Amino acid sequence: MITEIGNFLLSISASLSLCIFLSLFLKKTISNEVRFLFCKIASHIITFLIFISFVLLSYAFLTDDFSLRYVANNSNVSLENIYKFSAVWGAHEGSILLWVFVLSIWSSCIVLFSSSIPKVIVSDMLSIMGILLLFFLIFILFSSNPFDRIFPIPINGRDLNPLLQDPGLIIHPPMLYIGYVGTSVPFVFAISILLNENIKLEWISWLRKWVISSWMFLTIGISLGSWWAYHELGWGGWWFWDPVENASFMPWLAITALLHSLIVSEKRGIFISWSILLAILTFSLSLLGTFLVRSGILVSVHAFANDPERGMYILIFLSLIIGLSLGLYFIKSRSLIFEKEYTVSSKEFILLLNNLFLTITTFAILLGTLYPLITSSLNLGKISVGAPYFNFIFSALMLPIVFLMSPAIYSTWKKTNYSKLTKKLLTFLFYSIVITYIFMNFYFKSDIFIVYLAMSLAFFTIISSVAKLLLILKNSNNKKIISNIFSIPSSMLSNLLAHIGIGILIIGITLSNYYSIQKEVAMQQNSQILVKDITIKFVDVKNKISKNYTSQVGVFDAYINNDYFISFFPEKRTYNIQKNIMTEAAINSTLLRDIYVALGENLSNDTWVVRIYYKPYIQLLWYGVLLMILGGLFGIFGRNKLEKKLNNDS
Amino acid sequence: MIRKLSALPILIFLVIVYFLYSGLSKDPTLIPSPLIGKTIPEFTSKTLFDGNTITSKDLLGKSFIINVWGSWCYGCSIEHDYLIDISSKNTIQIYGLNYKDDRSSAIKWLQSKGNPYRRVIFDSSGDIAIDFGVYGAPETFLVNEQGVIIHKHVGPIDQSYYNNVILPNLRK
Repeated sequence: MITEIGNFLLSISASLSLCIFLSLFLKKTISNEVRFLFCKIASHIITFLIFISFVLLSYAFLTDDFSLRYVANNSNVSLENIYKFSAVWGAHEGSILLWVFVLSIWSSCIVLFSSSIPKVIVSDMLSIMGILLLFFLIFILFSSNPFDRIFPIPINGRDLNPLLQDPGLIIHPPMLYIGYVGTSVPFVFAISILLNENIKLEWISWLRKWVISSWMFLTIGISLGSWWAYHELGWGGWWFWDPVENASFMPWLAITALLHSLIVSEKRGIFISWSILLAILTFSLSLLGTFLVRSGILVSVHAFANDPERGMYILIFLSLIIGLSLGLYFIKSRSLIFEKEYTVSSKEFILLLNNLFLTITTFAILLGTLYPLITSSLNLGKISVGAPYFNFIFSALMLPIVFLMSPAIYSTWKKTNYSKLTKKLLTFLFYSIVITYIFMNFYFKSDIFIVYLAMSLAFFTIISSVAKLLLILKNSNNKKIISNIFSIPSSMLSNLLAHIGIGILIIGITLSNYYSIQKEVAMQQNSQILVKDITIKFVDVKNKISKNYTSQVGVFDAYINNDYFISFFPEKRTYNIQKNIMTEAAINSTLLRDIYVALGENLSNDTWVVRIYYKPYIQLLWYGVLLMILGGLFGIFGRNKLEKKLNNDS
Repeated sequence: MIRKLSALPILIFLVIVYFLYSGLSKDPTLIPSPLIGKTIPEFTSKTLFDGNTITSKDLLGKSFIINVWGSWCYGCSIEHDYLIDISSKNTIQIYGLNYKDDRSSAIKWLQSKGNPYRRVIFDSSGDIAIDFGVYGAPETFLVNEQGVIIHKHVGPIDQSYYNNVILPNLRK
């Protein structure tokens, strides 16, 4: 029954999406009001229908309905309920359903929150959304249907990939998808602007909130993925430049560039054509990411589905959508080029440089990611560029971007008082170098140049942003600090918070990268090892039996100066059904350092390979990301000045 | 100038699509193995069903396939029908290397799905697989009559494996 209802709901949604798309061609014949009303209601119905089919699939998982092939392949009676639910998006078919579900939610959101945009534009946006929805629905119905049956019906399912049986994985994919798919909003906006050859500045401030939302969800999604890799996979790191990680990082870079170019477009009415191109680029990169993950053309830890046929379908769609968009851009973009004067010291110019560097970074990462494909199609052999390439090129391009953050905060539009700006910035730079020097010399006693450089730039950004914050607080006449904080324009607050976050993030990355201690040793029971000032003693290995796995749990006691301090219980799990072995690292975190103990191979009766990492300041990484997300929240929910002005005017 | 520049994205895009397209027709799991062109590693082990001794020398004489599998492995169940299909053609012998498995479930698995293998080498410790440089199951090696490995396939095989790998080598 579920199969029939599911297919029915998805088919209806597909037909409705087609209708919404076709209404684009009836622009001249039906009235705007009617078309808007139709697109609006149809969009909501689609969202509702896809939601119901999503609920149906979840129901099938929770009730162990193994007559569905997808459920049988990805679940098991002994699986915990929460993982039965997250298994809905645990493999290809379900994750595409999640994709399209999120897409429909975004299109409903466009309907709900677009009162400040003319109905023609909104209807056009919904029509473009319609064709995107249609594609993914057809893709689901014909080649990735989670409602397909299996016969004979197996008694039990094959279980969810143990790698995915983790709390982090319950929310990582949905968050990432919300961000990923959210890039469709600027995209459909850009296309509608090109179709109508008309733009007003207040529409851009409308768009900015959508861009910030999508940016924020991407940030959350990517960092959750990193957090998960660090805490659960036992890989000892949090970023691996894996093709699929890159696939989510490229849209993030592009949308960050878009975020900044939109500020210029909104405030000064220039860079509009460029912003439009960036919006198309960002969504293209999202589609490319989906293609890379789903076609399995690159070897990656994430590539679960290797299916060239599905890949071909996505590739054809991707080429059509992006090709047509770029063609449209080529024809129509000139009408959106406005020129205004600005000088080298202006905010416009600094943001232009920011965009330039971010775009170059995006393409450098794209090149590295596609490199194995390029060399193999040119018959140069299969060469992958690894972390060294990415680390080098990324840090090299990031340094100028970070350096530009402070001038960007203090410069003004059109023209900045040059001597005043340099004086102020040089002071900040001086302080940040002094702080870096003191910190590094007394704490790490190390003289790696690149660390000094990165740390100074990070402090430079933090000091400039905090100083700006204090300056605004001092200048406002209100005496109470709390109400003062709320009196800061939210766009300014969000900008400063995000930049402080970046600074803290960089400190965390740099210190944990350069000063971590890694030991991979064979340890006998009751032997001990000294890591920094901590003695770690290997006490025992115990067996533990859980519902769907058995595990060996190591017991390690840590001592500081012979005083007992904490115990670590790293696990090695063997899942009953797929027989995969999973490592669960044990981590003790404080702001200053993480200690990370993972159990490796069992060499003999009481001897194990043990991996111990000491990572200083790695927690700052997560705090930095939290500040960026907080900045995003202020950007979305804070009312910005322009909007207030508009509301007051009307 | 600006008009020309705005065509640039299209050009870049076309180049990327070309590479993506050509990538689709290639198999990313084709990992060049250092063992290709070398004789198969020597081993002595027991067979799965009867527990008789089997050594690498027993395999030589005709060209053959070694298929690494386990009853726990999902990919193996996908490729199983193709293996049965190949064995029914009687053109080439297939040996199984039962990898990190337990005897009873491996036998049960073959009994329920059919047995394409001439003999199955039982390798519960995975030691032989290490000598073969196995990344994970399933993997399939094509070996010629002198015992030299001429092709290695990672992941489940399908129809094209017989047509594109085995047949051309049989004709040689």
